[in-house]
Amino acid sequence: MNEATKRNLLKALWIVFVYIILTMFAFIYLSPFIRSFVASFMTWEQASKYPPEWIPHPFTIENYLKLFRLELFPRWIMNSALYAGLIVAGNIIFSSMAGYAFARLEFPGRDALFSALLALLMIPIFVTLVPNYIIIYKLGLIDNIIGLALLSLANVSSIFLMRQYFLSLPQEVFDAARLDGCGPIKAFFYIALPLAKPALGAVAVYQFLGAWNAFLGPLVFLRSPENFTLPVGLSFAFQRSMWTEYTPIIAGSLVAAAPTIILFIGLNKYLIRGIVIQAGKG
Amino acid sequence: MARVLLKNVVKKFGNVVAVNHVNLEVKDREFMILLGPSGCGKSTTLRLIAGLETPDEGEIWIGDRLINDIDPTKRNVAMVFQSYALYPHMTVYQNIEFPLKMSRVPKNERRRRVIEAARFLGIEDLLNRYPKQLSGGQQQRVALARAIVREPEVFLLDEPLSNLDAKLRVKMRFELRHLLHDELKVTTIYVTHDQVEAMTMADRIAVMNQGRIMQIGTPVEVFEKPANMFVAGFIGVPPMNFFYGSLVSRGKELVLDTGGLEINIPNSYTKSLQEYVGREIVMGIRPQEITIHTEPIEYAYPGKIIGYEPLGTELYIHFTIDEKTDYVAVVKQRLAINLGQQIYWRPSPSKLYFFDKKTGNAIY
Ligand SMILES: Nc1ncnc2c1ncn2[C@@H]1O[C@H](COP(=O)(O)OP(=O)(O)OP(=O)(O)O)[C@@H](O)[C@H]1O
Ligand SMILES: [Mg+2]
Repeated sequence: MNEATKRNLLKALWIVFVYIILTMFAFIYLSPFIRSFVASFMTWEQASKYPPEWIPHPFTIENYLKLFRLELFPRWIMNSALYAGLIVAGNIIFSSMAGYAFARLEFPGRDALFSALLALLMIPIFVTLVPNYIIIYKLGLIDNIIGLALLSLANVSSIFLMRQYFLSLPQEVFDAARLDGCGPIKAFFYIALPLAKPALGAVAVYQFLGAWNAFLGPLVFLRSPENFTLPVGLSFAFQRSMWTEYTPIIAGSLVAAAPTIILFIGLNKYLIRGIVIQAGKG
Repeated sequence: MARVLLKNVVKKFGNVVAVNHVNLEVKDREFMILLGPSGCGKSTTLRLIAGLETPDEGEIWIGDRLINDIDPTKRNVAMVFQSYALYPHMTVYQNIEFPLKMSRVPKNERRRRVIEAARFLGIEDLLNRYPKQLSGGQQQRVALARAIVREPEVFLLDEPLSNLDAKLRVKMRFELRHLLHDELKVTTIYVTHDQVEAMTMADRIAVMNQGRIMQIGTPVEVFEKPANMFVAGFIGVPPMNFFYGSLVSRGKELVLDTGGLEINIPNSYTKSLQEYVGREIVMGIRPQEITIHTEPIEYAYPGKIIGYEPLGTELYIHFTIDEKTDYVAVVKQRLAINLGQQIYWRPSPSKLYFFDKKTGNAIY
């Protein structure tokens, strides 16, 4: 055996080894999910057995049917969709405008304002929960999806992402637009916004994921079951012992997670691009 | 009429004075080139004229309008950027149309003018493509089309050829000048750090250094009568040789005492140098004006070869007289020489330049 083939063999062995390790970790991370997935097709009797069983027998979709028999379940899905939709729309509009202003316009106090904004990232949401609650309460918007969405229409990390993206666009393109007759507003609509599609895609995906899975906000600000979003609704159903069994809850969680999983698989290039943009120049 | 006039213009960025009391008059339809090393303030000067920067001091005039406070759009200038700055999300057609659209030209007229500009530059076939589908040369034509479609009075170009390969650059040099100067007949201010571009294209050249204009003149003037050591050293390849020394009188003759070597100064210079006797001066000789000899001859001085670069048709010979400074001679004839060899170099007596060492200004 000569040197080259020996080296290739070692390399192949190393790759196999790495893959085995990675597969093991993937399996460890995925096992709760896989467990939930198979359990959602089991009877509660089988699902609660010890040691756990992995093949549904008998196979049943009763858990899913129970879920949809729940009167409020479609309502919760609609609420979640409305909530996520408002937040995505709000972030696209406001963070692109704010990001553009921070990146491309010159106004007094711009950098100080931006630093202040970034400092907000360090404040845990629990600190602002009560003041926010009071504001929304005074506005008479407690127990209202729109009132709740109001709190998240703009977001520091979206603004940061958009700013970084606008900074990464070449200055000369904006100079050219200026000479071609674009003031700051026209330059925003004709140049900046059309060029920002990748960044807007990333913002949309991030915000959708965040809003769809949001728990704390909806839990605190929503009161009546018919206004709940899906995560809060499911936990409500669980706590009120609408079912004595866990399997419908598991099925419900899977239904709730489905859009995020699909989005993630379908659009992960946007998510990665978002990370790349944020890591770009400061 | 679109004369461009800069009066005492100053632009600072923090502590950096990018443009330092610049006075420049560009005549109507003139092709003016701003030439200078990197960072000397050429782009900033252009951006001041375009209105992309605001001067800290001074006045900028186009025609008989003081434009300091006039919006860039209303200055009637068009600019071609080094990166071309095409709008990546628009087709070639939309790119060229954009300035017209922004100034609310009616659609039919827009169409006519876009096609006219595209035809003028030979890019009618590319109208539906996107910038990233074009070569560098094609992108540049689109940028030019977008600039001429506005029918500006003044054309500003910032190193428009620097992104092209050497061959295309030579071709475009002539085309660009022909287009702007002979066909469109617009006032043009063109920035470059490439002196060959400047020499071949310009009506006049403004040589800049560290934010200041060092000399303004025709290509022949700045080459033959440089106003100072900077211009003398910047223009010409390889750069001019400078011999530092003091001017001494030897009877009726003047000599440059370099401290080791005394170089005779021909009588034709005696008059202009009279008041510098006893002072430090600098003598300049272009490498092309030095001949190299292997045997001593009259008015030739000894030197030692420290290197040579054959360039095909000519040979650069590096020699020294004090074991420190590197001087260059360009010779056409084939010479059998070796490193370390003693040679005799002879300056051409009618092609000497003298500079006041203190100010760097030329003495004529
Ligand atoms: N926006 C800016 N902020 C701070 N400094 C700047 C800015 N623009 C230019 N400068 C500085 O001003 C000086 C002149 O810059 P300018 O771009 O005009 O040079 P240039 O002659 O065009 O050089 P180059 O050949 O490299 O393009 C440089 O020192 C540069 O660093
Ligand atoms: Mg420049």
